[in-house]
Amino acid sequence: MRNTADVVVIGGGVHGCSIAYHLAQKGIKNVVLLEKNYLASGGTGRSAAGIRHQFGTEINIRLSATSIKMMENLAGELDYPHGIDLMQGGYMMLAYTESQLDQFKKNAEMQNSLMNAGTKVLSVDEIVRITPALNTEGLVGASFNKRDGHVDPFHVTQAYADAAKRLGVEINTRTEVVDIITEGNRVTGVVTGKGEVISTPAVVNAAGPHGAIIGKMVGIDIPLYPERHQILVTEPLEMFLPCMVISFTHGTYFKQTPHGSLLLGVGDPEHEVKDFNQESTWQFLEDVARKITYHMPALKNVRIVRQWAGLYDITPDSQAILGKTDIEGFYLDVGWSGHGLQLGPVVGKLMAQVIAGEKPDIDISVMSIDRFKTGALIPEPACV
Amino acid sequence: MRIDEHPVLTFTRGKKVTFYFDGKKIEGYEGEPIAAALHAAGVKVLRHSHKKNRPRGFYCAIGNCSSCLMVVDGVPNVRVCVEKLREGMQVETQKGRGDLIVED
Amino acid sequence: MLKTDIAIIGAGPAGLNAAISAAAMGAKVLLLDRDDRAGGQLIKQTHKFFGSRELHASLRGIDIASLLLARVREFDNIDFRLGATVLGYYEDGVITAEYRGNFLKIKADRYVIATGASEKILPFPNNDLPGVYGAGAVQTLTNVYGVLPGKRVIMVGSGNIGLIVSYQLLQAGVQVAGIVEAAPGIGGYLVHAAKIRRAGVPIYTSHTIKEAYGDSSVQGAVIWQLDEKWQPLNGTEKDIEADVICIAVGLTPLTELLWQAGCQMKYVPQLGGHVNLRDENLMTSVPGIYVAGDVSGVEEASAAMLEGKLAGLAAAKSLGYSIENYDELWQQAISQLDGLRSGPAGEKIRSGLKMLVR
Repeated sequence: MRNTADVVVIGGGVHGCSIAYHLAQKGIKNVVLLEKNYLASGGTGRSAAGIRHQFGTEINIRLSATSIKMMENLAGELDYPHGIDLMQGGYMMLAYTESQLDQFKKNAEMQNSLMNAGTKVLSVDEIVRITPALNTEGLVGASFNKRDGHVDPFHVTQAYADAAKRLGVEINTRTEVVDIITEGNRVTGVVTGKGEVISTPAVVNAAGPHGAIIGKMVGIDIPLYPERHQILVTEPLEMFLPCMVISFTHGTYFKQTPHGSLLLGVGDPEHEVKDFNQESTWQFLEDVARKITYHMPALKNVRIVRQWAGLYDITPDSQAILGKTDIEGFYLDVGWSGHGLQLGPVVGKLMAQVIAGEKPDIDISVMSIDRFKTGALIPEPACV
Repeated sequence: MRIDEHPVLTFTRGKKVTFYFDGKKIEGYEGEPIAAALHAAGVKVLRHSHKKNRPRGFYCAIGNCSSCLMVVDGVPNVRVCVEKLREGMQVETQKGRGDLIVED
Repeated sequence: MLKTDIAIIGAGPAGLNAAISAAAMGAKVLLLDRDDRAGGQLIKQTHKFFGSRELHASLRGIDIASLLLARVREFDNIDFRLGATVLGYYEDGVITAEYRGNFLKIKADRYVIATGASEKILPFPNNDLPGVYGAGAVQTLTNVYGVLPGKRVIMVGSGNIGLIVSYQLLQAGVQVAGIVEAAPGIGGYLVHAAKIRRAGVPIYTSHTIKEAYGDSSVQGAVIWQLDEKWQPLNGTEKDIEADVICIAVGLTPLTELLWQAGCQMKYVPQLGGHVNLRDENLMTSVPGIYVAGDVSGVEEASAAMLEGKLAGLAAAKSLGYSIENYDELWQQAISQLDGLRSGPAGEKIRSGLKMLVR
């Protein structure tokens, strides 16, 4: 392992790998990435990996629209032979009340005026035309964007990692960071669990739910905590669900992967544990079976084959914490609270710009950690 | 290819039933695995693989390996090495993944 | 939620014995198996067992299964459910099962995992052709359902299973074109090998399959010789016509539930793959979870039966149940197990088990 680096990136999820790649692409090639387990082993690989323009704040809309554009060309740009299984069959956000539909209308206007996103608000008839098997009971409409959809999170991460390595980035998996060395108010090095020390003037914390632990190593209190979320996987079937479907009312979401399996999820913050436990529960199995067959009754005929759990890194406003900190050379890209996978491409690029001392293409200052002192939280209405 | 006489074993078989393989009428014994009845009738190819469309038969015959998935009475991905044969079953070679069953 | 003292998963030789010995001590037992028949792989074993009378010697596997089943049926405190597929072990100590279309949740104070093992595969070109069958599948088809797997079989593997299944195929009137064995010597008992040889079946040691061929199912295979470093030798290819290639290269434990429960596992090739650490009572590193049979190291059915007895006794005892001659029963099973595992044939098993003691 190298003992000096221009930048050390902590975390081998999509954000860490994207940051490493974009740094190298700028010519900052002595980058070392440290991952405790294996690439995409955390929230990235455990994500349902939806991508969507359909957010409700300016910052998230700008970020997501840019990120989706990047993903449309990603395999080519990164010369990744396997493709990233990007499926742009749309993302359907179900509205069960008029006020929810009004909010979707406002969001759509903002998405379309800011980024020309092409988001539409659909009537129930229009919904059924796209997803005939959906239960329309109680439904008043939906927000839909046909360039949204989903992606394979492992491929996106691996595509960045492979490209980064070709540009000279050193990626070390099974390597845990146990300490960060500071002198005065600045970062000078990183210590790994194997006892190695890497001297570096810059460290990026992209450690997801472990981000708070990394923050403590330099004395920074990062307000985030882990929260377990689970997913069920069905047997593969011929493609019948073109789009990802989500209901904020029920906390449910589901999609069909190119392999043919459906991924079924329910966000259940009230009952889910808030520690590093990633075990699956039988209660979830029952809960999902009940809730998802409400949305799509025909799924009662489909067999469940697997179940997994992963961790969200939840912040007080469920939005990410990005950029510089009070410790010089210590940067944050954490706290995505469950919607970070899709923003890996763009945020990696912006973080690389910030670290290189450039003005980022998109102003991400609202996502600074300082907002928790000033109280300028981000009121995103479109999150599970 | 049934064994009619065996030096050690006797086989207690269920009653003779007819079922359909890709629409063709075949006889088998009630309660035996569908795969056994098909094999006795000379049918070895049970499905085709998803991507390369290669022929597949059974492998483990104890419901463990998922090599023998077929469409049975319209339901895809049925393990015919353990699914018992009944009178009148419609058994079809599975090509691809199988379709979602939507009831009206 | 179904509650019980001891839930036993798998009603093969190990699980049936565990149920009997635990129930005899008075424990309330729930015995589950995903198949519709009790006995696990015993039902396809048509050869006579070796050993002593206590170990059902000179009986065939299929008759042993019937005997054990009859014994299980004598106990009112055994709730025996066939067609119950256990789906998972969860962190709150609950297991779930699919039982005749219903979703069961089960909470037992003790679990005996006796899920057995499954057939290994062998990688070679076209190994996915129909007609490439596991040895267990060939036995099931031939011995249980009376359906011939084909007309002419190439057997891969000369362990006891490969030899016994070859003999059973000959009995059933199937030609065995040859037995292919990668090792330089025959793996199984020579008494079995001698029967095969007498029938004129060639045993190709230091050989393996180069490739199978056939349009929509197996029509034959090319085999070739291996050198002392197990590398194939060009120019030694032999073409053998056959419509079945039977893979008898061993079994691998079905350990999913043990992994889910967080049992400490170790890779022990002598025992077939990853298996759990265990104490002298057959308890895993997770308190209350016991193992018996192939799931914790692939051996023969006789060993599985004895481990089942021990696990059943230990699990019931840990719950405060007792039986007058407990120590005697325990010692008897232990010494029978030692007997099975003694001598050169048991060396592999003994060295593997040594790695598992907690």
